[in-house]
Amino acid sequence: MRTRFDKLLPLLVNGHVEFILIGGVAGNVLGSARLTFDVDVVYDRSKANLERIAKVLKPQSPYLRGAPPGLPFVLDVPTLRNGLNFTLTTKLGDLDLLGEVVGGGGYKELLPHTFVVSAFGVKFRCVDLPTLIKLKRAAGRPKDLESIAELQTLVEEGKR
Amino acid sequence: MKTKIYRDPVVEAYMPGVDRTLLRENLKLTPAQRLEKLVSFSSFAATLRRAGQRALRAKKR
Repeated sequence: MRTRFDKLLPLLVNGHVEFILIGGVAGNVLGSARLTFDVDVVYDRSKANLERIAKVLKPQSPYLRGAPPGLPFVLDVPTLRNGLNFTLTTKLGDLDLLGEVVGGGGYKELLPHTFVVSAFGVKFRCVDLPTLIKLKRAAGRPKDLESIAELQTLVEEGKR
Repeated sequence: MKTKIYRDPVVEAYMPGVDRTLLRENLKLTPAQRLEKLVSFSSFAATLRRAGQRALRAKKR
């Protein structure tokens, strides 16, 4: 199933979830030409925000991506509070809910390194290009090397 | 606060392989248009994937 970026992001925004878009979709916002298959967001860990996340995602049947079916997993406030980073499947596609990211910290630490994007009829925060590069470098995944090279090229192209 | 970008020689080695023409075309678009393009491409990729699966099933029969 493909991820409905055009539905998932408005769902979070309209549910008043405080989040910052990172990862491949953020790369696309910034000009990347790479296809990505999931939405990665860093979310605010406040109690009110955890309640909003649980409420908006419940109808989308969130479940742990890659886990065997039938586990007693419920994405409610206690689950969100006791966990931190969740890689989920939903009816609208794959969503990574990240409480913290290596090299970037949590929502409040990342907030100064974001800008507001208007898309799909809503507004949301997206990480900036230098910080996205920093996050991908910190993640240290070999698969990101080409992506980092592309993002660094975007920095150069932006200076032209 | 500005984030300084460290230039990694391993990453630098990948940079000549980046297709700058695609990036230049994307940079002409607004962020919203870039996301619409992602949605459209994602839909196209899903259609192709389904067609590939159908073709494989037909070949097995």
